[in-house]
Amino acid sequence: MSTFTEHKSIADRSATDRSRHKKKIDKALKEGIRDIVADESIIGQDGNKKVRIPVKGIKEYQFIYGDNSKKVGGAQGKDIRRGQKIADSKQKGKPGQGDKAGNESGEEYYEVEITLEELAEHLFADLELPDLERKKFKFISSESYRRKGHRPYGIRPRLSKKETLKNKIRRKKIAQKAGTYDEDERFTFHESDLKYKHFQNQPVEISSAVIFFIMDVSGSMSTEKKYIARSFFFLLYQFLKHKYDNVEVVFVAHTVEAKEVSEEDFFSLSPSGGTFISPALDLTLDVIEKRYHPSNWNIYAFHCSDGDNWSEDEDRAIKSSVALKEKCQLYGYCEIDPDGRSSSWRQSPHSRTFESYKPHEDDKFKLLLLNSSKDIWPTFKNIFGGRKEWQQ
Amino acid sequence: MTWTFDELKSWDDKIVEIGSKYDLDWHPISYEICNYHDMIGYMAYTGMPTHYHHWSYGKSFERTHQLYNLGMEGLPYEMIINSNPSISYLMTENPMSTHVLTMAHCVGHSDFFKNNRMFRHTDPDNIIARFKNASKRVKKYVDDPTIGIDAVEAILDSAHALKFQMSREFNIKKQTPEELKKRYIRTLNENPDSLPENFDINQIPLEPNYNVLEFIRDHSRNLDAWEKDLLTIVSEEGSYFIPQAMTKIMNEGWASFWHYKILHELDLPQDYHLSFLKLHNQVIRPIVGRLNPYHLGFTIFQWIEKNLGLDQCFIARESHNDESFIRKYLNEEICRDLNLFTYSKKRTEWSIDDIADDDGWKDVREELIKNVGLGSLPKIYIKKVEKNHTLILGHDHDGRDLDLNYANKVCEHIIDLWGDDIKLFTIIEDEPFEI
Repeated sequence: MSTFTEHKSIADRSATDRSRHKKKIDKALKEGIRDIVADESIIGQDGNKKVRIPVKGIKEYQFIYGDNSKKVGGAQGKDIRRGQKIADSKQKGKPGQGDKAGNESGEEYYEVEITLEELAEHLFADLELPDLERKKFKFISSESYRRKGHRPYGIRPRLSKKETLKNKIRRKKIAQKAGTYDEDERFTFHESDLKYKHFQNQPVEISSAVIFFIMDVSGSMSTEKKYIARSFFFLLYQFLKHKYDNVEVVFVAHTVEAKEVSEEDFFSLSPSGGTFISPALDLTLDVIEKRYHPSNWNIYAFHCSDGDNWSEDEDRAIKSSVALKEKCQLYGYCEIDPDGRSSSWRQSPHSRTFESYKPHEDDKFKLLLLNSSKDIWPTFKNIFGGRKEWQQ
Repeated sequence: MTWTFDELKSWDDKIVEIGSKYDLDWHPISYEICNYHDMIGYMAYTGMPTHYHHWSYGKSFERTHQLYNLGMEGLPYEMIINSNPSISYLMTENPMSTHVLTMAHCVGHSDFFKNNRMFRHTDPDNIIARFKNASKRVKKYVDDPTIGIDAVEAILDSAHALKFQMSREFNIKKQTPEELKKRYIRTLNENPDSLPENFDINQIPLEPNYNVLEFIRDHSRNLDAWEKDLLTIVSEEGSYFIPQAMTKIMNEGWASFWHYKILHELDLPQDYHLSFLKLHNQVIRPIVGRLNPYHLGFTIFQWIEKNLGLDQCFIARESHNDESFIRKYLNEEICRDLNLFTYSKKRTEWSIDDIADDDGWKDVREELIKNVGLGSLPKIYIKKVEKNHTLILGHDHDGRDLDLNYANKVCEHIIDLWGDDIKLFTIIEDEPFEI
């Protein structure tokens, strides 16, 4: 009556749908960068810190009931009474387990928990910039001497006793075999036994980098602007960390004055006061001078501001910028203007600062514009990807 | 594989014999033997071997796979499609004793599909071909260079959000808009007082229309032919699956009732007996704090057989859905037996509202009725289309508020399909609310 057949597995039918789903997650991840970094202390963290990424757009929505609806459960022989507390909605975890009957509200959340390291890899794997290899990265180098084998000549202090003795023993053995060895006679060192240590002069790439994150925390820098800056800094940090063995970060916050602060303070300082850019740049230059000498460090500096530098500071800012870019591998000025709000009352799409920097833009000095969190990724690609001129 | 096809066949013969003896009436069953990977592959597509492609099924696959890997759900043992012949899957990795139970279980399901009145419109003879045809059409649009996968996915995403927003009465003949208009013109002439004061005979629709997808398809100014076709596909799939959602408790209860009965009459070897009992208990075990539809349905059918006779069971399986089934048969005795209770969220904590005692059991039953079947899905309907083509939607508010976050998202989907403005009227915390 019933029939039986064996499944002939020719193709993995759900494979295409799975890969479409994965693509959506990847896309959502990238779009969610702003959300990921918004509340997390991320930059100074090591790569194993886990972040939870709310994956948007993967949810499938329907009309559903909210919290005020009653539900029915079974208690199976357990004593229950009216008003008994059964679960705390603040508790996470699987409802309906053990003694606690559950909130079966079916709250589906698609959050992917990954480490920052994984997140960064995820993001960079998708850059799809095959040329983005070492050669595109400037590594400053210094000279150093390295041991490199032995030579038959050299100065006396570099004589290698061990190698020399080995040679003598070797010669002795050969002589024994050949029958030319005379036991009664002393078997002395020979000129050809002598070996000297050899040193070679070699350039060494310095794989240490320092990143200066400079941010305007004046009154005009809204929380939203700071979020954008923070997201952008996060990407920069993760990316450079990938490229260099040792990365240090310096946070410089400025209003009309500049000071070096911790990461926490950097993002949480309440905005106040006006804007002078040059003190921050000067402070950066000062820190470079004292702690990060350009011959030992690859230096990166990124300055985020909304561009409302006060006019009396303009000339000084330009002068400091030019000085700074000479010391850096890359110096970026990122202007943050959410939704083009400021530019709508300005004559040009850029601020005066931006315009005044313009003539000085070159391989090492980049001017960037971030209008929204969506610009972060393209901008990032833009500075590190495929730009031929930024090669060694 | 620890068993042979011959063994399967001989057990099937015995099951068929017992099923027929009890006048069970089912479609022939076509069993397909597949491995674990294929099985969860089928599950992702709700068992349908010819279903169209969409990323959400990939997601469903990953989720299922993950849940099993984490041990949060047991391995699947049964899946059967409402078709003629009924297609069912048996997993190679399962032992023979599991297959015996599964086959007996499937006989119950197939009988239910064939006889329950909710399924009369589902066209089991042609459903596989219809799905295949739909799948081909979707593929055609995906392959069409002027459309492409992103556009197709966007429409399907929106359509899926409204998949089950349709009238839940399938056995009443639908009136066409013309017939409806004629009827209202007659009323207008004969008995105008019965109509509301501002009645407009040209209003579209004249009566609240619950078939949201169909209505959008027929009245949107925004949709191309292929987009309308996709809405048709999703809407037809919705109407095929709604009966299953509306009879989950009965269907699983009926299948469990019968596998239990059939296996008791089978001459099971001793070692099968134990594994059968174990599996049966796994299937129908009560889950504290929640409701296992297998358990609830099984318990009610057993109660009916014991107290009202087996014939009454057959009558129930033919004429009810979960809502009416529970309204008619769930009594104080069963409520107490299952120790049912209602609970809800108060500020931040969940607590019990009512329990199954003298005063409470009826309230518990009423709440259960609200929640079974499609009761957990709000009913949204089309109120009217305004002059500027704004679509006005309403919500049948029964005391439960909409989840606004979700509602907003679905409304975005509706706007994408409709193309013009929309408004949704509902009630939130006892106040009228407009989305």
